[in-house]
Amino acid sequence: MIGSIEVRSLSRSFTTTVRRPGFAGALRSLVNPERAVKHAVSDISFDVVPGELLALLGPNGAGKSTTIKMLTGILTPTSGEARVAGVVPYEERERNARNIGAVFGQRTQLWWDLPVRESFAILRDIYDVPGAEHAARLREFDGILELSAFWDTRVRHLSLGQRVRCDLAAALLHDPPVVFLDEPTIGMDVVVKEQVREFLRHQVEQRGRTVLLTTHDMTEVERLAERVVLINHGRLVLDGSLDEIRRKFGSTWQVRATLADGHTDLAPPPGIVLLRQDGPQVVFGPDGPEAPTVHQALKAVIERYEVTGIAIDEADLEDVMRAAYAHAEPAAEGV
Amino acid sequence: MAVLHAWRAARVTPLGELHAPPRMTAVLVRLTVQVVLVASLWSGLYANTGVTAGMSREQAITYAVLAVLASRLRELDQYAGRDTVIQHMHFGTIVYWYLRPLSPARYHALRALGEQVYGAAWALAGYAVCLAAGVIEPPESAAVAGVFVVSLLLGQLVLYHVMLLLDQMCFWTVRNTAAMLILIFAQNLMSGVYAPLWFFPGWFRTLSTFLPFQATLNVPLSLYVGRIRLSDAGGQLALQAGWVVLLHLFTRFLWRRAARRVISQGG
Amino acid sequence: MNAVRIAWRITRLNFRSQLEYRTEFLLMVAIGAIWQVSVIVFATVLLTRFTGMGGWDSSDVLLIPATRMLAHGLFVLVLGRVHGLGRFIQEGRIDICLLRPIPVHRQVQLQYFPTNAIGDLTVAAGLMAGALSRSHLDWTAGRITYLVICLIGGMLLEAALFTAVACASLRFPAADYWGRWLEELLGTFGSYPLNVLPKAVGGFLTFGLPLAFVAYFPAAVLTGHGHDTGVPFWLAAASPLLGVLAYLGARLLWRWSLNHYTGVNG
Repeated sequence: MIGSIEVRSLSRSFTTTVRRPGFAGALRSLVNPERAVKHAVSDISFDVVPGELLALLGPNGAGKSTTIKMLTGILTPTSGEARVAGVVPYEERERNARNIGAVFGQRTQLWWDLPVRESFAILRDIYDVPGAEHAARLREFDGILELSAFWDTRVRHLSLGQRVRCDLAAALLHDPPVVFLDEPTIGMDVVVKEQVREFLRHQVEQRGRTVLLTTHDMTEVERLAERVVLINHGRLVLDGSLDEIRRKFGSTWQVRATLADGHTDLAPPPGIVLLRQDGPQVVFGPDGPEAPTVHQALKAVIERYEVTGIAIDEADLEDVMRAAYAHAEPAAEGV
Repeated sequence: MAVLHAWRAARVTPLGELHAPPRMTAVLVRLTVQVVLVASLWSGLYANTGVTAGMSREQAITYAVLAVLASRLRELDQYAGRDTVIQHMHFGTIVYWYLRPLSPARYHALRALGEQVYGAAWALAGYAVCLAAGVIEPPESAAVAGVFVVSLLLGQLVLYHVMLLLDQMCFWTVRNTAAMLILIFAQNLMSGVYAPLWFFPGWFRTLSTFLPFQATLNVPLSLYVGRIRLSDAGGQLALQAGWVVLLHLFTRFLWRRAARRVISQGG
Repeated sequence: MNAVRIAWRITRLNFRSQLEYRTEFLLMVAIGAIWQVSVIVFATVLLTRFTGMGGWDSSDVLLIPATRMLAHGLFVLVLGRVHGLGRFIQEGRIDICLLRPIPVHRQVQLQYFPTNAIGDLTVAAGLMAGALSRSHLDWTAGRITYLVICLIGGMLLEAALFTAVACASLRFPAADYWGRWLEELLGTFGSYPLNVLPKAVGGFLTFGLPLAFVAYFPAAVLTGHGHDTGVPFWLAAASPLLGVLAYLGARLLWRWSLNHYTGVNG
């Protein structure tokens, strides 16, 4: 189906050479290398429907990039199956290529020595995009990404933010129904990040593209994704909405309090946990299934401590993710 | 449509050069100085000698200068454009080659074609100047010129495949400087860039007939100066064509293996 | 003393890291063999074909490529990393060096272990042994000392040239192109008696690009051709001194360039 992604029990393992320590070890590895198997992705399944933006989350080394590489057809899975817009990407690489666009972080696909517009022209001809359509799409992209200010500059002279915006445009010039973005906003300033987000929202909502995004920027996730898939150690930990993640791993609320001087015993009331402390500033959250409601907690905190200020927050997504990553750790070790 | 993307990919190098005038100046200076030096070296060497290794002074100078011109065909600053396989492997951008509906082999060939045509423009201009200045001799007859052109084209095809082999090696070893040095050195020595192959001992020339390098330059240049007679040209051209076919089959096999490797390692 | 210890330790580590890539290491060793055969072939080729080159006896001419190769091998082993520095700079790795409390030049030299220098030196030593055994000269202690000094001078002169290119790379990373050409020129024209060339060309290779001082002048002085090189005898004899001066000058230029280094494209 156009624009859909189906992933079924996808797994991928790599063989690596074990480096022995020391000088003698290096010599031995030269003569008789020892191999080891690493499971980058194990048994992952999920679906993305057309016109949906899905955030693929996980700590560094979780297997996000490996998953994206399999879906773009650059990497063959060890087992399992994937379909992108109805095509098995690693079996029909060139057919898949016409259906997808991809940006891999700071790696640029633009021609280093040429003005950006020349790169666009090369891609237009590689993907057989009609001239009028190309011009119209370029105008549309320019409207949000403000490319025309620098698209006659050679790529080698662009700033990072400019280059990534051009790379995004380059990946979408052939009107692909499915787009893969591997940490597209890494290292960019807030203004450019916002521009890129607006562009992505526009592409999903107005153009109906399916987007699979990996990022470590939780603000981005909150602004863009309705649904997330969380993986860790190559395994799928959770597939659901942001609210579900919050419910499962995060505190549903946080109480921020400023304590009066002289508090030494900070043991919180039952069902409440101390999340952070910075001098007199403390943050409490719910602890366990028997946790009190936010109103009960507020009351308990005020009764338990002498406070000079107090506020209620919705849980920070970063904290939720930290809890989720930590939670996923033992499960992966066990298997 | 295929013509369009071929044109776009082929003109990447010339366009990049035109956007960087200092680089063009550098090529011009280097080419001029190198031609002057090589021409004076060979006339100096021949000062006390008549004909040696079957080559007269004029033949040797013509051969050596043509070798300089011809070796410029692909002697550009390959790294400046960041579009070499080794750089793509280094920066991880090789994945994009496999994400396009244009096969990497075809793209690589188109880029090289553009580069060689651009280099040929330089070589041709240099040739015209050298001929006008009397540094080199014109070909003996129209037939020699014709055979030379055919042989030069075949030689460039062999050269393309040798360079391609070097690039393909990058798929297996990230660090291929050693192999690169060996191949470049072998290419320079055995194709006749350093000195015409005729000056080398017999065993060395026998050795090089079993290698593709001499088919890139030594054969066409020897035909041009008349060191290989027109009557022997057929066999030499067949040998060159044989190398083209052999190397083409081998590099095609390697492209397939490289693709397999990329999609099993993930670039 | 500490500096020497650090340098030694890093060199050991570098050598080990060369072993990590086994194909590369074995190929690097193979390079030595290929080089060996080809250089000797090349040297003998021209000597047998063109006897009496520039008025020199062929056994004397052999001393030129031998000196040049040995000086070059020493350069690659000791100071060779200044060659090809443009890429190092373009990838921003020089910026990392600027942050460490060790002189940048030393860090550059300690980037990696030059495995190919082993091959280069083996060949060059072989060629030198061949040249000395064929030589009809009386190799007194004085001659040998002068030869050794000249080798060091030649190494320093080559290092000075490549350091100058490296300085240019700090400003224009594309200067690597000139570095590669320089290498080609040294390789192609460093092995002949330069008096076979027209005066203007010989002058260029003496005063423009001081290639003559690496091997030609020292060999001329040693073999008694010191008076017909086209330059005063004392200048030809002072070649090693010139190497030292050029290297010192190049290091000053390096220091100056580093102080004026502004980074590459943001």
